[in-house]
Amino acid sequence: MKNGKLLAVDNLTKVFTKGQGLVKSKIEAVSKVSFDLELDRPEILTLAGESGSGKSTVAKLILGFETPTTGSILYKGEPIANLKGKKDFMRAVQPIFQNPFETFNPLKKVQSYFHETERNFTQTSPGQYPLTEKSLQLVGLTSAEIKDKYPSEMSGGQLQRASIARALITNPSLLIADEPVSMIDASLRMSVVNLFKTLKEEAQVSIIYITHDLATAYYISDRIAIMLRGQFVELGSVKKVLDNPLHPYSQLLKTSVPAPDPRDRWTEDIALSDLETKEYTRKGCKFAGRCPKVFDLCHEQEPDHHAVDDRLVKCHLYA
Amino acid sequence: MAILEVNNLKAYYVTHTFGRSSTVRAVDGVSFQVNKNEIYGIAGESGCGKSTLLKAISGLVKPPLQILDGEVGYNFDDERLDILSLRDDRKRRKLRGARISLIPQGSMSVLNPVRRVRKAFEDVIYAHLDVSEKEFEELVSRHLLALGLDWTVMHTYPHQLSGGMRQRITIALSTILRPDIIFADEPTTALDVVVQRGVVQLIKKIKEEQQNTLIMVTHDMSIHANLCDRLAVMYAGEIVEEGDVQSIFSAPKHPYTTMLLDSLPKVGDSSARVSAPGAPPSLVDPPEGCRFHPRCPHVMERCRVESPVLNGLGNGHRVACFLQEGGK
Ligand SMILES: Nc1ncnc2c1ncn2[C@@H]1O[C@H](COP(=O)(O)OP(=O)(O)OP(=O)(O)O)[C@@H](O)[C@H]1O
Ligand SMILES: Nc1ncnc2c1ncn2[C@@H]1O[C@H](COP(=O)(O)OP(=O)(O)OP(=O)(O)O)[C@@H](O)[C@H]1O
Ligand SMILES: [Mg+2]
Ligand SMILES: [Mg+2]
Repeated sequence: MKNGKLLAVDNLTKVFTKGQGLVKSKIEAVSKVSFDLELDRPEILTLAGESGSGKSTVAKLILGFETPTTGSILYKGEPIANLKGKKDFMRAVQPIFQNPFETFNPLKKVQSYFHETERNFTQTSPGQYPLTEKSLQLVGLTSAEIKDKYPSEMSGGQLQRASIARALITNPSLLIADEPVSMIDASLRMSVVNLFKTLKEEAQVSIIYITHDLATAYYISDRIAIMLRGQFVELGSVKKVLDNPLHPYSQLLKTSVPAPDPRDRWTEDIALSDLETKEYTRKGCKFAGRCPKVFDLCHEQEPDHHAVDDRLVKCHLYA
Repeated sequence: MAILEVNNLKAYYVTHTFGRSSTVRAVDGVSFQVNKNEIYGIAGESGCGKSTLLKAISGLVKPPLQILDGEVGYNFDDERLDILSLRDDRKRRKLRGARISLIPQGSMSVLNPVRRVRKAFEDVIYAHLDVSEKEFEELVSRHLLALGLDWTVMHTYPHQLSGGMRQRITIALSTILRPDIIFADEPTTALDVVVQRGVVQLIKKIKEEQQNTLIMVTHDMSIHANLCDRLAVMYAGEIVEEGDVQSIFSAPKHPYTTMLLDSLPKVGDSSARVSAPGAPPSLVDPPEGCRFHPRCPHVMERCRVESPVLNGLGNGHRVACFLQEGGK
């Protein structure tokens, strides 16, 4: 295979326009993002960071649901633009969408998604759905539990597990899992992330794991990218980045992970972020308005990615 | 004084398909009280009935959800109401929004995808207040600013906003009328930890300013630890443990609570972890006896046949488990 990459994302940018008339603003929801996944070495890459920093947009661009403004995405050496809508690609690259309440059409029974996927992408005999049953089992559900149910008749966590199970039916090589466990409580969450680990290790599935849960990210992923306002501000091995974050935003993120202990509450107030659009359109570093280590240059000039201690950090402190 | 008293509440989903009826016992005999000005947390596994409980106590009951039994009483300063006996739908609606307000799970579902955010604010405010357009704009922009949002969001459609933004907008919407009681269903789930921290900070601030009572549903135990005064843990439609948040975290009494607290890894810990055994039971046909017994590491003979009731252990800690009755 050309260049030996499963996925090669290069200088990816997506511009959106928000609002209308006088309040219209343009934002780079994804800004100059680059990363690769190797073909012969399955990997779990976490995208973490700010709400609204472009994580889901990166996912949609890879899936071909949005078109890049500039930059390129190659899947096994082939541009996504040529692949999208093709059956092989749709089978091999499976999404798990962020909000399970939006994933499923409220007027359609949940079961029908499974049966459609199994009919369209696999070779089982008509009327038989062995893979549906098997993939439901992997996430702790049974087909009896989804039988005849509309999405509104299931809880958030049940729907989320259903959408994970649906994605597994086609035996994909790349899973794009957008907040797959956000509504799943502690005891089941571990079984889902353990499932991801097993898929990587035993079925060679690479996973882009988008999450706010740094603990499970630390537990299952190989690398992590911390996103802020469209940019990768830090990218490297999950151990390096989370044990010892270098970018001031990564540091804030890590210290904000709540402790499950009432004696250890958040006490200091933090600066709430500026308006989303304002930070997006800020010149210089996007974090300058909130950064405790800010200096003059940060307001003027956008930092480059600096290679420090086996990772890339987009911050003037490391120039 | 208790501002909310829930007594033996049973809320089931009753559906009929092809002549067969099925009953989901989502809330099955739940009793608790919430004091004025407190933050009361409700924790528990996916599908255990948390959202249903909130729907039932805020009077959002429509088929297939049915109330089989129980009372939900509100003691406001000037009146006492049993919301379930309010027959008039208009009265219930008036009560919601103005006196009690629900921040629902999955914020997208409240924001209409084809209408701008401004419309949602107009709906809420004009339904309850008689204000001019100028007053409307002042009221909203002041409130938005306090939540770190800017007036431009008013012109956007929900799909243009990130999940975190939508969540903050729903919080803004449901607190703008300064309700006496706020029910929040997983309000921080979609947010990054920095924004979560901001939202918790914000909820505390709103609570202080508006002097209201907050009931907070989430499966995220860390958020409960950070925010709540008292906590109830639900399992399969029932409350299995309740107490002040300190004692629940430092000395959990129910084996399920212990499992919830023990199962998550921490940042910095990647040692292999087995998942907790089993999955939550079906509420169509819940296990006999204690509903947790098939997954319980301390199960005894008795647990398979008898169901334990929620008993007080003193100092306001209640637990439904035979281990606490000297059955060890
Ligand atoms: N179709 C669209 N039109 C205009 N703006 C959009 C559109 N989709 C996303 N955006 C904007 O792009 C930015 C990034 O959004 P995105 O959903 O990718 O963030 P995210 O990192 O997934 O956030 P979250 O953690 O809240 O899910 C946000 O400001 C969002 O409002
Ligand atoms: N409209 C409905 N018809 C039938 N069953 C329903 C309906 N809505 C919910 N249920 C079922 O009732 C049970 C409780 O659901 P509920 O939404 O209250 O759970 P929850 O504790 O809020 O879960 P989560 O943490 O996943 O949001 C679940 O088993 C669910 O499948
Ligand atoms: Mg997203
Ligand atoms: Mg719920």
